[in-house]
Amino acid sequence: MDSIIDKIGIVQALWPSLVKGLWMTFQISILAILLGSILGFCLGVAKTLGYFVLEKLINGYLHLLRGSPYLVQLYIIFFVLPSLGISWLQFDGYTAAVVSLSLYTSSYVTEIVASAIFAVPNGQSEAARSVGMTRSQTYRYVVIPQALKLTIPPMASVYVIVIKSTAVLSVIGISELTRQGEVAIMRMPGDIMFIYCLIALFYFLYCYPVLRFSKWAEGKFGSVGDVDH
Amino acid sequence: MEWLQHYFNFRIVGNYAEVFLAGIGQTMWISAVCLVLSLIFGTLVALGRLSKNPLIWRPVAGYIQFIRSTPLLIQIYLVYYGLPAVLPIGNLLDEKQTGILALTIHTSPYFAEIIRAGITSVNPGQIEGALSVGMTPRQTLVNVTLPQAVANVMPPMLGQTAVLIKDTSLLSIIAVFELMGAGLKMFSETVIATESYVTTAVCYLMIYAIMLVVSGMLQNKLGGKAWRAN
Repeated sequence: MDSIIDKIGIVQALWPSLVKGLWMTFQISILAILLGSILGFCLGVAKTLGYFVLEKLINGYLHLLRGSPYLVQLYIIFFVLPSLGISWLQFDGYTAAVVSLSLYTSSYVTEIVASAIFAVPNGQSEAARSVGMTRSQTYRYVVIPQALKLTIPPMASVYVIVIKSTAVLSVIGISELTRQGEVAIMRMPGDIMFIYCLIALFYFLYCYPVLRFSKWAEGKFGSVGDVDH
Repeated sequence: MEWLQHYFNFRIVGNYAEVFLAGIGQTMWISAVCLVLSLIFGTLVALGRLSKNPLIWRPVAGYIQFIRSTPLLIQIYLVYYGLPAVLPIGNLLDEKQTGILALTIHTSPYFAEIIRAGITSVNPGQIEGALSVGMTPRQTLVNVTLPQAVANVMPPMLGQTAVLIKDTSLLSIIAVFELMGAGLKMFSETVIATESYVTTAVCYLMIYAIMLVVSGMLQNKLGGKAWRAN
């Protein structure tokens, strides 16, 4: 009984800082999701336009981001870019976090959008062209509305990946949830397990609804295949 | 080449070539051990998830959901700090073994989901057909079911293996020496960020490129409908 009261006391003491951390995690993940989705959408559409060089360039970009761990990308954007001596590339921690996560998100979103556009049957765009729509009209009114519906379920699982990746940001000193937990542990070193379980619970409460939504949306809208991880 | 030297000093990287090679070796070794363990444990998890008994599949589903919705970093911390407190033998594992354990716990559910999809992906008509032409159940399994299941499962499996290799980089945070650790070692000794981290990235990209080639070869060998997705 004593230990339960003890734990409640810990939760009360840590609550403000953990909520602050969760808010930071939320803020960064939402920003990265928004920026990354916009960039990924543009690149994904560009990939399907059929220009050979453009497609290869985008593929190269995807391989660069998919082939290296996010931790390395974060280190490169946070430590290497400032040393190039270009003033607008000298990000502070927060900007570096948002930029690197957005790029990381865009690599997933690009592939999802491109494969969703490819999944729309050819007859749709042929029919649109044959009734006199221009190419951009075909994309705008026929292909993209159908493709966007297919992207919803895999996009939700990408968002979970992004939310989970924010934990890595603790290594560059962003005071998000994991970092707040580490600080809390310095304050109360006796309760490492309890505090980490608490943080895991916070992440779970944030991610699990999104995962459930993804599952539900897959039944409702169909899917263009799951993303790795 | 003089101007390039200003941005990227190859000579210093050359001095650290051995460290990076050792790092690549460690990363590959840790990934390979984790891959084997996760395949074994993942199969068990998949079978547990497919079980009809709610006492088995509910806890297994809970485990899968927990792993999927919490960050790997937190799981590594939980194993690294939590294991010695919970289990008396926890102290016997060094950080590398703890890291492998944490990565296995993290990766198994993902493999389990892939294996589950593979088991359910083979069309029952295929099995009925094989049985009806007089194959024994064993022949059916070996010649009909398994080849198709493996071919269907291979692309996501390779993708997940690539993710696993990238995930080993997080072990550097609990002081395991691997590729990322090699980069951090070089950075802490020379304090030149560009060479340290760009070299690390290039090494990871090389591993990734090799994986792409291998998966291309496997694709030609196996065929299978799921390849279209990549």
